Amino acid sequence: MSSLELDLEINGRRIRRTVPAHMRLLDFLRDELNLTGAKEGCGAGECGTCSIFIDGVLMKSCLVPTARVQGKKIETVEGLARRGELSPLQKAFCRTGASQCGYCIPGMVMAATAALRRNPHAGMEEIKESLSGNICRCTGYQKIFEAVALARDVMNGMLPATALDAEVLGDTFVGASVRRLDAPSKVTGALKYAADMTMLGMLHMQVLRSPYPHARIVALDTAEAEAMPGVEAVVTHRDVPGVDGFGVFVHDQPVMARDKVRYVGEAVAAVAAENLDIAKAALARIKVRYEKLPAVFDAFEAMRRGAPILHDTARDNVVMHIPIRRGDVEHGFAESDVILEETYRTQAIEHAYLEPEAGLGYVDQDGVVTIVSPSQNVTHHRHALSRILALPINKVRMIMSPVGGGFGGKEDMIYQGMLALAALKTRRPVRYVFTREESIVATAKRHPFVVSYKMGVKRDGRICATSMYMVADGGAYGLSTEGVMRKAAILAAGPYNIAHVRVDAIGVYTNNTPSGAFRSFGALQSEFATESHLDMIAERLGIDPIELRRINGMRDGAITHTRQQLDSVSLMTVLDAVAKAAGWEAGAPTVRGETRSDLGAAGNRPPCTLGARLKTRETRDSWEVA
Amino acid sequence: MLTCDEYRMPETLDDALALMERHKDRYRVIAGATDLLPATRAGRLGDIHAPMIIDLSRIAALRSVAVNAERVRIGACTEMARFLDAPLLARHLPVMLHCAVWFGDDQLREAATIGGNLVNASPAADAAPPLIAMNAVVTLESRDGGTRRRRDLPLEEFVTGPGTTRLAQGELLTAIECDSMAGYGAAFEKVGHRRSLVISTVCVAALVRVDHWPGRFVDIRLAIGAIAPVPSRLRECEEFLSGKPISSATIGAAARLVSARVQSRTRRAYRAEVVVNFIERALTDAAVNAGVAFDDATRMKEVSHV
Repeated sequence: MSSLELDLEINGRRIRRTVPAHMRLLDFLRDELNLTGAKEGCGAGECGTCSIFIDGVLMKSCLVPTARVQGKKIETVEGLARRGELSPLQKAFCRTGASQCGYCIPGMVMAATAALRRNPHAGMEEIKESLSGNICRCTGYQKIFEAVALARDVMNGMLPATALDAEVLGDTFVGASVRRLDAPSKVTGALKYAADMTMLGMLHMQVLRSPYPHARIVALDTAEAEAMPGVEAVVTHRDVPGVDGFGVFVHDQPVMARDKVRYVGEAVAAVAAENLDIAKAALARIKVRYEKLPAVFDAFEAMRRGAPILHDTARDNVVMHIPIRRGDVEHGFAESDVILEETYRTQAIEHAYLEPEAGLGYVDQDGVVTIVSPSQNVTHHRHALSRILALPINKVRMIMSPVGGGFGGKEDMIYQGMLALAALKTRRPVRYVFTREESIVATAKRHPFVVSYKMGVKRDGRICATSMYMVADGGAYGLSTEGVMRKAAILAAGPYNIAHVRVDAIGVYTNNTPSGAFRSFGALQSEFATESHLDMIAERLGIDPIELRRINGMRDGAITHTRQQLDSVSLMTVLDAVAKAAGWEAGAPTVRGETRSDLGAAGNRPPCTLGARLKTRETRDSWEVA
Repeated sequence: MLTCDEYRMPETLDDALALMERHKDRYRVIAGATDLLPATRAGRLGDIHAPMIIDLSRIAALRSVAVNAERVRIGACTEMARFLDAPLLARHLPVMLHCAVWFGDDQLREAATIGGNLVNASPAADAAPPLIAMNAVVTLESRDGGTRRRRDLPLEEFVTGPGTTRLAQGELLTAIECDSMAGYGAAFEKVGHRRSLVISTVCVAALVRVDHWPGRFVDIRLAIGAIAPVPSRLRECEEFLSGKPISSATIGAAARLVSARVQSRTRRAYRAEVVVNFIERALTDAAVNAGVAFDDATRMKEVSHV
């Protein structure tokens, strides 16, 4: 492969380097120059975590061949505050709290800088459009937009520079904008996420993954890969010294596939090599012979007699069944005036945090196996790893690197075990950085549910009985399924007084990608069914949907379906606030007329349009300026 | 990942064509690289090794724009961003202004080129419908035995299916020529899964020239993308409207002529409904941009999607 001599300016400094001709600018910045403010969120030009300026033009560096920047001037996020003083925009991001996980923030700051450089008086719609190539998954954008508008006003002299200072706090933090201590590190790109960290002598890991949803591993031969120059180690299940299993509740997932693979994307072997190219090439030299097994992709089919069995420990493919019984539902249905039955389905959802999984493992000078990773569950992982490695707990250390978004998706110890095994085998630091594609293929999703619902009500709206039969696709391994089933079941029937309740939540093994923790942990799926069902009941009975909830809602002192006494219940306050904020028009869903006064009101979201800049340019009539 | 043995950045078109002649079958041409780099990731084309990459970004002639009486000639490597910020292009190609706003985002528009969008030949290519509506012709050049060869082809014939064109081995799409549409009202409508940076589910380009008194359509240009393997001109609508009085009723009737055309493999019923609404909205918006005043009810319907 040919190389390329580069001579260019980066952040005001002249740089001369020889790099591989095909190298992407993002890799040049991160790997050659250690400018890790630009991140790789997707590598496909979608997310904007790698935005930088080339000759003053904002570009996504993952899509720029390095050859193109010969002789050009590059500005990265590190260049904005080179002398230590934050730019007004960076200060504004700190002031409004416009950074949460922070992974999108360097790119976001660059896009915001571009927006105000192009038009120092940009209006809100124009600001939004200018940032539209940059995705944020945590903040909800509002604080980011506020930051850009604040910086704009300060830079234009509309507001004093002190408007960027942290808010002086009174007696309470509630309702105040509390200074985020880590904000400066995020807006400058200085904060190091796991993929940004390097160590002397560090090896790079790549993982061979299963192409089949269900197959027996007949042979696994790594000799040829291990013999390659530059390959330091290949690890497989054979390298696991202890009890091979992880999972938040059931420890049924081996660090790497043991006798068989159970989903497409499951890790089978891992290579640690001097560089990524060698590691990738070595994967192709690992020989695996599979014997395909019948697979099952539907939770109901998996529960049928004769279905393929995934785990010997669960011959019925059931991970966990949580039943809840209160009163006698048949009696409740018998005394109901109206009975409504419906089935609700939810889908698997990817967390899509902007930071793909990454980790760095090493054995320190005292023989402590250390894993640095954005784990959302370090203590649990430490105990699990100690069991897997058969090491005492004081010889295992977990360091939580900044989490670039997790939402539950980083609770599972998907890759930390492989890093530990490779570090032990090579006695060198090993880093593994997932691509976006690997992150989507290999890691857990939100549990898809099918909820069969039956509810009986009196004509006046009182709920007599609720029956919910919920089946969730847990995928190939247990991970958090047990806990998700429990929470789904406990919260299923909602915060309503119901004398007769029957709930079954069943998590099932299938050969789909494992399901795991995801914001709300099962409550979303069952609540979606309950609240949808109540809306349909309201329509059937001709009752205002909010009133229906008031009729049945729990008050202070209520006893839940799992016999917990609630001292205080804020449901009524919340309902009132929601109705007010939404501009809710009272009345049954069936009596609403053709016009709605609750749409288009202040605080409602208007329909999407693009072209704010066209409008400002058209009114400025600047088209004729040649 | 895209790798190569040699990465070449010719400074002239002649040099580029010479490289292509000399290294037949061994090269890959890149313009903006916004399609090729994502395509070479895992799960799509995967790793691709090209003995030679020919990068067109240094060839100034491929970015030139010329207006000559009724026609506009655009260099193939003109970035999509130029349709938003070059006054000459905005005046003569008003529809490209609206198209470019919906194309990727600011950063991708600085890289992605008009020629690349056409050669890539996605059924959902945003630039194809507006150009087809403007009677675009593409110029294909090559070198054979040291002699430059050139042929021109209507864009409608150039794209033959998803990802396939009439571009021959050794040929480069160097320019696009189309009608100047100065004075037309224009609109571009696109629906995708989210607001920006998204592939079209349906996109429509409309250009309208009107006679304000007595309020008639004079010339209509309408083309649609993403509902069939290749983008197409909606001549039945154009002919139906030509000379007709301007009203929402005529526009509605014209739009309904199109629903039968939807032949996508997925979500056909949805696309059919979207297409009719979109064409109605595009024609209305184009007429408004040409200075036609509609009553509020029509406009409200267009704006609020209800």
